[in-house]
Amino acid sequence: MKKLAPIAAALMILTACGSGGDDDSTDPAAGGGGGEPVAGGELTVLEDASFAGSWPAGLDPATNTTGGSNIAMNQAIFGGLFLLKAEDDGSNAEVTPNQAESAEMSEDGLTFTVKLRDGIEFSDGTPLDAEAVRFNWERDLANPCTCKPTWPLAPNGISVVDPLTVQLTFTRPYPAILASFPASNVNWIASPTALEELGEDAFKITPVGAGPFTVESNQLSSSLVLKKNPTYFKEGLPYLDGLTFQSIGGDQPAYQALQAGQAQVYEGLNTTPLLEQAQQNDQLQVVVQPATSPYVIQLNTAIAPFNDVKAREAIYRATDFEAINEGIFKGTYDVSQSFTGPGGKFYEPEVEGYPEYDLDAAKALVEELGGLTVRLGTISNYVATQINTALQTQWQEAGIDVEINDYQLSGVIQEFTGGQWQAMLQTAGAWDPAAGVGVGFRFQSGVPYSGVDDPALDQLLNDASATVDEAERADLYRQAGELIAKNFYAPFGLAFAPANISAAGVHGPGLTTKIPPILVNAGVIWDEVWQEQ
Amino acid sequence: MTTATLPRVPVSRDPRVSPLRRVTGSPALRLVVKRLLMAIPIMLGVTVLTFWVLSLIPGNAAQQLLGPEATPEDIALLEERLGLNESGVSRYLSWLGNAVTGDLGNSLVSGQPVSDVLGERLPVTGELVFLAFFVSLLLAVPVALLAAYKPNGVVDRISMMISTLGLSVANYVLALILVLVFAVQLGALPAIGYVPLSEGLWANLEPMILPSAAIGLPLFCFYTRFLRGDLVDQMQQEEYVTTARAKGIGPWQVLIKHAFRNSSFGLITVVGLNLGALIGGTVIIEQIFALPGVGQMLLQAINTRDFVVVQAAVVIFALVAVVANLLVDLMYAVLDPRIRYGAR
Repeated sequence: MKKLAPIAAALMILTACGSGGDDDSTDPAAGGGGGEPVAGGELTVLEDASFAGSWPAGLDPATNTTGGSNIAMNQAIFGGLFLLKAEDDGSNAEVTPNQAESAEMSEDGLTFTVKLRDGIEFSDGTPLDAEAVRFNWERDLANPCTCKPTWPLAPNGISVVDPLTVQLTFTRPYPAILASFPASNVNWIASPTALEELGEDAFKITPVGAGPFTVESNQLSSSLVLKKNPTYFKEGLPYLDGLTFQSIGGDQPAYQALQAGQAQVYEGLNTTPLLEQAQQNDQLQVVVQPATSPYVIQLNTAIAPFNDVKAREAIYRATDFEAINEGIFKGTYDVSQSFTGPGGKFYEPEVEGYPEYDLDAAKALVEELGGLTVRLGTISNYVATQINTALQTQWQEAGIDVEINDYQLSGVIQEFTGGQWQAMLQTAGAWDPAAGVGVGFRFQSGVPYSGVDDPALDQLLNDASATVDEAERADLYRQAGELIAKNFYAPFGLAFAPANISAAGVHGPGLTTKIPPILVNAGVIWDEVWQEQ
Repeated sequence: MTTATLPRVPVSRDPRVSPLRRVTGSPALRLVVKRLLMAIPIMLGVTVLTFWVLSLIPGNAAQQLLGPEATPEDIALLEERLGLNESGVSRYLSWLGNAVTGDLGNSLVSGQPVSDVLGERLPVTGELVFLAFFVSLLLAVPVALLAAYKPNGVVDRISMMISTLGLSVANYVLALILVLVFAVQLGALPAIGYVPLSEGLWANLEPMILPSAAIGLPLFCFYTRFLRGDLVDQMQQEEYVTTARAKGIGPWQVLIKHAFRNSSFGLITVVGLNLGALIGGTVIIEQIFALPGVGQMLLQAINTRDFVVVQAAVVIFALVAVVANLLVDLMYAVLDPRIRYGAR
């Protein structure tokens, strides 16, 4: 036993609070604080190898098959026509023009006009004009990318009105288009000249854009070294001289690398014990991003047992997300009863008539059904598997037999496309429910990842995405939430969002302030990130 | 390992002598040629098996890349672009056809030539393996000798305790502990990253110390235990040791000149067999230390189901194993005259 003492001690350091921060230490004030921004310095940003730290197909916005995960790199190299900006606390988020000067939606929702700023050039000297944007958008639409736009585009629907104006024409009203820009490849405009000169294969390794940084070297899914773009269109920006994105194998090594001072930022931490350690550590700043996508237990209404409404109600009655949030996550997150999170638009924390937790009712229902056996799956990540284990315990209390499984991404896809899944813990919704991986993705009929087939719900969701008036949209989404609850389609849970960790002295929108994530991570505005010297 | 010192046998014209033997006079050279010929079916077997196992994992490259948000239309489009709608057999055969001519093909996912990617990544893994391997061996031999010189002495007890510990910790746990102690607490060494040799020897070595220690420490423990056990057996049981002692040769000389020479056979075998496991260990260690090596490439390629890249990595790993085993046999030949003269 004595022999094992040193290892045990080391392991205790590994798992206990090794930061030595005292209990009453507080995080440095998040926000744009820290005085006047100063120029200079270089940052190393760590990205999880299983998500944003993976860019195996290169960084051409049109052909980057993982573009939805690589928003940070895209934003640093290409900047973006529009950016999602917010107050420091994440409120009042809105899509604001960046390389674009303005965007206008026609009243009928069928025409969308983008005006560009005059005088912007790509770092190779090519002008970023309407023709360049049209060229990019046509490439984007022709290629498979997770961040490809789903525009209901009319034939020849992209037109160049004048050298700085591009217009889109739709077959049906599509007012959600602006909200979808910041997480879509149409937002990142590549230099047509560079594409032609380098060819697609070389361009995806060393892409050329008009963003705050240019590519120095790029080793796919390993490290991306960027340096300041001297011809960037904003006076005095970016502040940083250099920015390196480094892929790393998960939260634990990333956290240790930050502690060792080898990197200054890690995007997307979600391991709760490490999050608590980071909050205790006065050398690190922790900003938990505003959540936009609540967890949802999807129930497959097409097959047994959940084609029976009683079985679905039993799940609602046996599920207590408040207890899970308190017990496992110390109340870190908000619990939602619909597909909207506190960081997103149309947030509805409570839904009228939502079937609350009621263990006795759950037991009675299970008894009435003569027992209930459920296979509950989820994607293999820390938070999801913790929630699933807790759900298993809760449901067993109501007399439900539960088998839980967690899958890698391909496994999840296979479960869904196979159609034999029963219950799946997933996230639903987005900052705007009609954009990105919106609510339709989990609830519309005919979608492979949905467990529901309900024309009334389809109608509500389609109307909501085609309505220009925001108050009207809010009402339609509220009705959709009520419809889901009334039919016991899928219980919603805590609205989770990952945290960004940065070393003391780093400041920047989306790193040390809050910006609602459009897909998973907040879209950091890299040209405004700076470091105390 | 020069074969020049080996006696040359004149080339025989006798029809009963096999053509292989006729061409290659020296037994050592014959061994090499034989082994290299045997490597061909091994390589074929390994690549077929890899291809098959990879095809058993759910999801193909198109699904993996596009993720759960993709529409079936997009997946079909990408499958066509990547040539995934052809049958597995025809994809393997066309890969093989190119591979035989030395063309390892282009990555399915990035379109980059695999040979370019390997050129960037092999030096990283090579250096990692080399450091882990040699440092562990250089440390293990003297420690084992000291321990065997006086069994149950102080050195023996301490080294056995350390090696028991070292063998019972998984290498990724050891890696995290090393980072925690040397990078986080002491701030003495970098926790992540790789610096090419072109930027200076120390700049290159410094970030490699912890990762190679994470792989090398368990090896050191293993070699030490193995060699110490074998040496003690030799010293206690073998007649030649008694004879040597009777001649009045000192214990150190007996230990090093006689016992160690015999024990080194076993050690070489263990080292050769270990090389495969050692390379496997680089996969996880490269992840933890963010090293852009072949292991990291292999893992990413498996995740994206990029079979072209996976095959290339597997071919490299299998080649290393085959060559290592060949070297072990040649070392035997050098060390043992009975083998050298083919009198098996």
